[in-house]
Amino acid sequence: MALLEATNITKIFGGLVAVNDVTFTVEPGSIVSVIGPNGAGKTTFFNVLTGIYKPDKGRVVFAGQDITGWRSDQIAALGMRRTFQNIRLFGNMTVLENVLIGMHVHLHASIWSIIFRGRTMVREEAKARNKALELLSFVGIADKRDELAKNLPYGDQRRLEIARAMAGDPKIILLDEPTAGMNPHETAEATQLIRRLRDERGITVILIEHDMRLVMSISERISVLDYGSKIAEGDVQAIRTNPRVIEAYLGKGAAGQAA
Amino acid sequence: MTTSTSSQSLWQRVTAPLSSGPAAYGFLALYVLACSVLLLTNPRTELSTDIVFVLFMLSMLVAYRSRVAGWFKVVLGVVALGVVLPYFGTLNPFYIDVATQAGIFTALALGLNVVVGFAGLLDLGYVAFFAVGAYAWGIFSTPQISEINPAWGPVDPVMFYPFLIIGLILGLITGVLLGLPVLRLRGDYLAIVTLGFGEVIRVVANNLDRPINITNGSQGIRAIERPPLIIVDQIRNLGIVADDNRLYQLFFYYLVLIIVLLTVIVVARLKHSRIGRAWEAIREDEVAAVAQGIPRVRMKLMAFAIGASFAGVMGVVFASKQLFINPPTFDLLRSINILAMVILGGMGSIPGAMLGAIIVTMLDLQILPRIAAVLREAQAAGAPIPRQFDPTQYQRLLFGLLLVVMMIFRPEGLWPDERRREEQHEVEIADEELEADKAAK
Amino acid sequence: MAVDATVAPTTARRSLGEVLGVVFGPVGQLLAFIVGSAASLSLIVVVLALILSPAQPDMMQRVLIILPQVIIDGLVRGFLFATIALGYTMVYGVLEFINFAHGEIFMIGGVVGATVSFLLVSAGTLESVPPLVFVLLVILVAMAFCGILAVTVERIAYRPLRNAPRLVPLISAIGMSLILQDLARLVMTSTPLGFNARYQTPNFGQPIQLFTMEVGERSVPVILIPRDLIFIVAATIMLVVLNYVVNATKLGKAIRATAQDMPTASLMGIDVNRIIALTFLIGGALGGAAGALFGLRIGTVNPYMGLIPGLKAFTAAVLGGIGNITGAMVGGVVLGFLEAFVAAYLSIFTAGNFSGAAYADVAAFSILILLLIFRPSGLLGEATTQKV
Ligand SMILES: Nc1ncnc2c1ncn2[C@@H]1O[C@H](COP(=O)(O)OP(=O)(O)OP(=O)(O)O)[C@@H](O)[C@H]1O
Ligand SMILES: [Mg+2]
Repeated sequence: MALLEATNITKIFGGLVAVNDVTFTVEPGSIVSVIGPNGAGKTTFFNVLTGIYKPDKGRVVFAGQDITGWRSDQIAALGMRRTFQNIRLFGNMTVLENVLIGMHVHLHASIWSIIFRGRTMVREEAKARNKALELLSFVGIADKRDELAKNLPYGDQRRLEIARAMAGDPKIILLDEPTAGMNPHETAEATQLIRRLRDERGITVILIEHDMRLVMSISERISVLDYGSKIAEGDVQAIRTNPRVIEAYLGKGAAGQAA
Repeated sequence: MTTSTSSQSLWQRVTAPLSSGPAAYGFLALYVLACSVLLLTNPRTELSTDIVFVLFMLSMLVAYRSRVAGWFKVVLGVVALGVVLPYFGTLNPFYIDVATQAGIFTALALGLNVVVGFAGLLDLGYVAFFAVGAYAWGIFSTPQISEINPAWGPVDPVMFYPFLIIGLILGLITGVLLGLPVLRLRGDYLAIVTLGFGEVIRVVANNLDRPINITNGSQGIRAIERPPLIIVDQIRNLGIVADDNRLYQLFFYYLVLIIVLLTVIVVARLKHSRIGRAWEAIREDEVAAVAQGIPRVRMKLMAFAIGASFAGVMGVVFASKQLFINPPTFDLLRSINILAMVILGGMGSIPGAMLGAIIVTMLDLQILPRIAAVLREAQAAGAPIPRQFDPTQYQRLLFGLLLVVMMIFRPEGLWPDERRREEQHEVEIADEELEADKAAK
Repeated sequence: MAVDATVAPTTARRSLGEVLGVVFGPVGQLLAFIVGSAASLSLIVVVLALILSPAQPDMMQRVLIILPQVIIDGLVRGFLFATIALGYTMVYGVLEFINFAHGEIFMIGGVVGATVSFLLVSAGTLESVPPLVFVLLVILVAMAFCGILAVTVERIAYRPLRNAPRLVPLISAIGMSLILQDLARLVMTSTPLGFNARYQTPNFGQPIQLFTMEVGERSVPVILIPRDLIFIVAATIMLVVLNYVVNATKLGKAIRATAQDMPTASLMGIDVNRIIALTFLIGGALGGAAGALFGLRIGTVNPYMGLIPGLKAFTAAVLGGIGNITGAMVGGVVLGFLEAFVAAYLSIFTAGNFSGAAYADVAAFSILILLLIFRPSGLLGEATTQKV
């Protein structure tokens, strides 16, 4: 059974159809990519999946539940986490605290046990801290745990966002342009990290990317959006040779030459 | 920018040795001792005593901040606040009243700080929850209750203690009821709605003498009961002569002190828990916080209700201490007053809220009247000061200036929360960069 | 912005018909809401009276006798809220910021009007000034003073904080509002004006009898006092002019562009600082005029009179859809009628147990809260999605 199934998703802003009747399925344990030119509606699609926007039409089923219209925090609690295209860390909190925030749904200390420093609360906090440190070393920034998030270099901020997303023990992570603005060396490291997410932790990954090398090397399936509509879907080979995709990226006429 | 950092490091060079290590113990002990001696040897009400008194109160915050062993802080606190200050109060009752008042407002400021500082919700009707607690005790402890139903009579004054809890619960319930609808909204609407709510509560208190007389309208409620003093007879048996009012002053002082201590502990623990972290995350970036699974409305509601419940408790204490309440006691100006304390001290900072409460109470009760006296003297000596001008009557101007000036020059407050400080300055830096960019073009 | 850009060439020269359309379209909408809310509220009170009349036979008569007067009162209150609400909504539209001190600008408008009147009285010329000249004089002086004051406040207390977190300028605005209250008080109590300054006017003449109404055997005259008439006429003129400025001039287009997307507007060569200052100037001038007219109508002004009308006007702005200029007018009128009806009928229907005058405020804020729960985008506002 598919882990995530979005059917006929449409999202309209005023007169602009940002996502148009998109159907999209993700099998558990896979790495899939969503690509498309700027303004194609990729981020909007993520926002619909994660509940930040309500779709105007369509249905989203995740982990066997119909989550259409759920609040964003409920969807996150069910195990869908994401990163943001324009990094949204809690800049004035420490690196470690950022990861702890990601764990919020797994911390249950009651207000009483917090006020009275109950054993459960103390133990829970210690466990959470250890787990957060483990995640930070997984993404390779454990030594920076006490720095403020906003003081991290750009690449480390991206890593921290991934660690924060992992902190909720998600079934699936949605990465919105995780290598944007990175140099080739950093991109290679990020690619490694994304692979390890799936291989070592078993987390399913959906990826929005403009870096075609990365997309082609890592994805098992690719969906292509253009002007809000899905114009193609398939494995790497199929997408590489699809004339509509080439046209969308390179403009009319290019398809004929490439073929 | 550079000048401020270098002056800061100078400041740090002076204070660092005094705030940790053996020197800190000596410094703090000496500081408290010196203030105590000065206070106790000159208990008259005058400017020099005011200054020493403020320094004395500040010593507690300095101790709180410095890195000395916990037991030492406790000893200092018990000696200063538990012994020296009350004893000084028996020499000069005015100051113990000031201290009690400052304590009440400290608790209120700490409560509002949860709402405004931790969760970033601007509540301009905070005093409404204070009013709810005050009216609860006012109505139930006096014959006013018989106006509602002739079959009911006032409760036993000893019920004051359970009523502290009832006040807390009432504050909590009111907070939830108001918060539920409005906390879904974007932040700045909240300010207006809470302001409106504060006004509504005041209007209702003013007019709910008909059809059933519940609040006694604009007359207010008089002769509110104080709890019985348990150990008074034993004290009298010891041969100490003390009149009731003096004893009640001490009683309320200690009661408020205990409540403030509990409040500080609760607030500090909340701040450093999963709940406090969630509040901070929401304050920094709501969308990102929600994407981590934090239920936005529920967490905001929690902050709002916790803040309200502190106000509910203090309302009960306040009514009983003042003996009299009426609707103008709970006007917008008082909400602004508490907000000014939080902002002066630094939003989100616990010592900041306490410092703010102490400074503003002192301004209100001591410094402004003193300036007024000076002005009157100057006027008598022929200075061109308008006769009607009385600084104690211009609190709005004072608080208004305080809010604007703080926002423009020091939004992080006098005693900022460590992290918050950077958040606010960042904006200025970004601004400067923008300006520089512009200039370059 | 995108829409504006594409239609720009065609709108560079608008025909007179188009101009009339954009100016009077909103006025028509406003008129529809005036008639609609007056009619539906009248219907409600009549139905209530019908329900209660078996128990109290004279109920219907009591309700009907005052109805025309209540409607006039509602109209006056409505225009008052509308003129103040415009200031809130214009600033909010451009800066997404609640200009808390706007109620005080309104109050100072009243004080300025009272000062002009006081100066005329001291000069002994008040009675000899033609009423129309007097009204124009106080309005223009108040508009000039308050417009400049609003711009000054923006320059001092808001502009330095434009990029700060949202709470920061809001708190500064609250502080500014307190400062203005006490400064006004300081000035008033140090001068012969006094805390409750009298606002004398030339004789505006007799009340105008509109028509008489037959209720049962009695015939009740329906009158319009000249002060109300002045208020209604002046407010209407201001609203029409504002609509013209905002919808049919280049300046108005710049304001709308800035409101829609400040960075883009600035890239298109619009001086954003100037537009913001102008917004404050227009909003402040309208608020000042409203204050001068309001003081003139009730005959006295005091430094704390701005808070409650300010709050209600903000409610009106939210009611109409904050940021929407027509919405502010509509919201003001609807709120004005609601309040007038509550004030007049609450105590009749509750047998005097709840004073309508006192609970009118409660009604206004209850409306605000209900509205924010059920339709936070207001009557005319569109639901927008925050871009993530
Ligand atoms: N909240 C919103 N309100 C109005 N329009 C929006 C909103 N969010 C997105 N859009 C519009 O929807 C379209 C799709 O935007 P989206 O951000 O989804 O594109 P994208 O594929 O992620 O592009 P990019 O590769 O540049 O990130 C764009 O035209 C954008 O301007
Ligand atoms: Mg995108």
